[in-house]
Amino acid sequence: MTRLLTVAVNSLLAAGLYAEMAYGLAVIYGVMRIINLAHAGIMMLGAYVTLTLFSRFGVDPFLAFFLVGPLFLAFGMALYRTVVRRLPRGGGAPTMGSLLLLFGVWLVLQNFAYLVWSGDTQSILTSYTMRSVSLLGVRVGVPSLLVFAASGASLLFLNLLLRTTYLGKAIRAVTQNRDAALLAGIDAEMISAVAFGLGCAFAGVAGGMLSTLYAFTPDFGRSFLLKSFCIIVLGGMESVTGVAAGALVLAVVENTLAVYTSVPISFQDAITFAILFAALVALPEGLSGLFARAPRLRGAR
Amino acid sequence: MGDPRVRNAFAFAAAGLLAAWVPAGAALAAEAGTIKIGAVLPVTGKESKIGGAYKVATEYAVKEINDAGGIDVGGARMRIDLRLLDDTSEPAKSAQLVEQLIAQEKVAAVIGGYGSQLVQAQSVVPERYGVPYVSGGAGATSIYGRSKWVFGVLSPVENLAGTQMEFLDDLVKQGKLKPPLKIALVYENTEHGKDYEKGVTAFAKAHPQEFSVVLDEAFELYAPDYRPLFTRVQAAGADLFMADAHLEDYITMQRTYAQMGLYHQMVTYGARGADAAARKALGAATDYIFASGWWSDLLPYPQVKAFNAAWKAANGSAPQWYHACAYETVRALALAIHNAGSLKPEAIRAALASLELKNSILAPGTLKFSPSGQAILPFVVTQNKPGDKVDLVWPKGDRTGDPVAPIPRT
Amino acid sequence: MSRLGAAAAAAAALAALGAPLLLGRGTLNDLWNLAFAVILASSWNILGGFAGQVSLGYSAFLGIGAYTTVLLSLRGLDPFATLVPGALLAAVFSVVVGLPGFRLRGPYFTIATIGVGEAVRVAASSVSFTGGSSGVRMPAGSFDFGRNYLAMVGLAIAAVAVAALVRRSAFGRALAAIRQDVDGAEALGVDSTRYKLAAHALSAALVALAGGLYAINFQYIAPGAVFDFRLSLSIVLMPIVGGIGTIVGPLLGALVVSTIQLKLLELPALRDSYLFIYGGLLIVVILFEPKGLVGLAGRLLAALRRASAPPRTAGAG
Repeated sequence: MTRLLTVAVNSLLAAGLYAEMAYGLAVIYGVMRIINLAHAGIMMLGAYVTLTLFSRFGVDPFLAFFLVGPLFLAFGMALYRTVVRRLPRGGGAPTMGSLLLLFGVWLVLQNFAYLVWSGDTQSILTSYTMRSVSLLGVRVGVPSLLVFAASGASLLFLNLLLRTTYLGKAIRAVTQNRDAALLAGIDAEMISAVAFGLGCAFAGVAGGMLSTLYAFTPDFGRSFLLKSFCIIVLGGMESVTGVAAGALVLAVVENTLAVYTSVPISFQDAITFAILFAALVALPEGLSGLFARAPRLRGAR
Repeated sequence: MGDPRVRNAFAFAAAGLLAAWVPAGAALAAEAGTIKIGAVLPVTGKESKIGGAYKVATEYAVKEINDAGGIDVGGARMRIDLRLLDDTSEPAKSAQLVEQLIAQEKVAAVIGGYGSQLVQAQSVVPERYGVPYVSGGAGATSIYGRSKWVFGVLSPVENLAGTQMEFLDDLVKQGKLKPPLKIALVYENTEHGKDYEKGVTAFAKAHPQEFSVVLDEAFELYAPDYRPLFTRVQAAGADLFMADAHLEDYITMQRTYAQMGLYHQMVTYGARGADAAARKALGAATDYIFASGWWSDLLPYPQVKAFNAAWKAANGSAPQWYHACAYETVRALALAIHNAGSLKPEAIRAALASLELKNSILAPGTLKFSPSGQAILPFVVTQNKPGDKVDLVWPKGDRTGDPVAPIPRT
Repeated sequence: MSRLGAAAAAAAALAALGAPLLLGRGTLNDLWNLAFAVILASSWNILGGFAGQVSLGYSAFLGIGAYTTVLLSLRGLDPFATLVPGALLAAVFSVVVGLPGFRLRGPYFTIATIGVGEAVRVAASSVSFTGGSSGVRMPAGSFDFGRNYLAMVGLAIAAVAVAALVRRSAFGRALAAIRQDVDGAEALGVDSTRYKLAAHALSAALVALAGGLYAINFQYIAPGAVFDFRLSLSIVLMPIVGGIGTIVGPLLGALVVSTIQLKLLELPALRDSYLFIYGGLLIVVILFEPKGLVGLAGRLLAALRRASAPPRTAGAG
């Protein structure tokens, strides 16, 4: 019974973190059909900005989210306007160009971080970082709980945004069918810029969360990126709750393997890849089938 | 491509680019009265943190020797002409640069790099040309014993683990820890980690009454979440926790450890312990962690104190183990050249093989190479104490403080 | 190919082959690296450029070639004889990955290849018969840099020739059709999967041969070095910068990237900026000249021609 509780609690906590990492990727993909490879770099920047706010100005990392969010929203929109917008549009499907372009942006962000903050290992130590509470008999670190709470708040926020505001509905419209949305009078360019900004905002906040849990360097973020891909493929674009569900599935698989089997931990990444690969290929109905068929439905590339 | 003119334009442009590759000039010849010594280190790239430190220390050691007049080779004083190249932490490039130093620059000897992978790649080269090679930057056993030209100042990583086990065993003898003791052992999936695992399990097997390894897990570097790993550690219900990890992972792992409320009578992260970054990141959670390493500035030998003082005066801060090892590597090579009395490769090699560097700053005070070419010297064990203090707790005779075991429960 | 172009190519090839007679070891090492890069870029281009399927997992084939060579050599085979089994193994693996993988379109295929590449690296680090993360060494034997150099340059010339032959052939035309419009090609009767698999296998085999030569030259390999994701990245960067889908493009790209790596980054001011440079190159190329240097040259020449030629009447243009 303790094992089951351990898996449950650990999975929930991990899922919260993973979901937060994936929201940003999902929003950008949904609206623009762009796979934001710079996502890892933006998370890394979010971590460093949170660190600077904490060490230079004494702002608590969890409060810093309210600063980091808007800051990265602006950053994302600026990035969109200067770089991303110039990409030739690829119809319904993501283009190789977008993939490589954003990858280039990631490399640039990494170098920027090396220059500004050096390659030294950094981490954030607050008064509550090392404290823990007991949850259903399982000891849980306070930062992990706070991250979970923040992630839940993000989920609520995103859902509210998408369902009740004009902006949100416009985003959903463009996600479902860009051409129809254009016909309906939606300024798709503006929506794209905001969506990109929103995606970067979530990535930045996710990075801030990561900074409270882990030690990091500018190289940070690569392994999280693959997990995020896995999650959005599993969970799909249709709803933000789907992303959260995908995160939960991944977290449950990892923790179940850790607790109930003796599969070496070092194989975990390989298992994530396998899930990603299998999900991409073998789910013809549903999510990835939807992506793969979208070019056909929309006609030529 | 349709237009032949485009192609032609390209051919010329390409030729122009290739011109950049034409070597600027012949290799700079050595002046009379100097010894050319080559060194290839990761000054930039992944290993640059410590690789850069090795560069600083190597240059410091060479300067010290040159300022004293150079090396006395068969009566003539010769200064060292150090040719130090940056391999950007790429193994292939590292090997190529060593080859270049030997084949083109004709160095008399090569000082090896830092990092097992880089040194492994480099170490295949000396055999081809018969040039002595001394590395102060890799402890992996598989590097040594293959070529009589390859020497290493760092003792095997298995012995790092072995020393820790001896220290623990001594605590058992003192009655501070009560056998039988179960060990939860986790290690990074690299050569370093695997050598560490070998050392621990070998000792446990040889002392079954005192130690048994109940968990033996490898983990990938920089994993996003260590909770699954520590869930297994928790489930193992061990008395001692032993790990081998990089600095980032040490910080993340120890955080997870503390947050999950884990407790073991003794905790170690291999060579990690008193790193300043970890202290800053973990605060009191680093207290009583013990670590083992190739050198500590706490060693109470007079030559170590002198080295500490001189280093601090020249560089502004206390020397770390990597500075000491790089420094000692240069000194060992210099003494061997002196003993050889000539610059002939075979003479230097023989001198290295039979070297005895007395008043070495490494424990136990004398540096010698074993028949495989690797030095086999005792490691030091340090333990963190509250209030940012560190004590040297092993070798026993060189202690600066008593080890605390078991770790007090809070 | 024009006479002048063919002569230039032949001259370059001869110069490369004859270099050991004249140049020092340092430069020969650089040329060896360049030849290595040329093979990787040209081979990748067969699938990535001609057929338009961008794979970010080619380091897997390099590693397969390298490891096959070392492991078989340790069992007594002549190192150069091990190149063939290595190439075959890589080709087979490429089919195993491609059969499910090619059902994915565009960037999804790319992401899947990232996953495969990383999975292979983790597997090689964890399994003991590959030596795990410590790597493996070639058996002690005769090392002949002259021979290694000629082999690598020879393979580079062969790889470019193969790419050129493919491009001209019916096979190459089918690949081009697939790149432009898969559905259209299928409608015309092209079995796109089979062609993609063939292109994948051919390029994988070539890359594996380069991997085997790499092992022979360095005599020590480890998963971190040959299965590195950054290697997969630079393999893709070179043809993109040079001109994806062309013959000369990968060569130029290899030259540019190698020059940057070896020469530009020696300058102390730029030493820590290599990511800026690679990232910047990618961004600039994608945004402004997706056809790479070849496309840029084409545009420049067209502009020059327009500027210098007298205005023509509509009929003659």
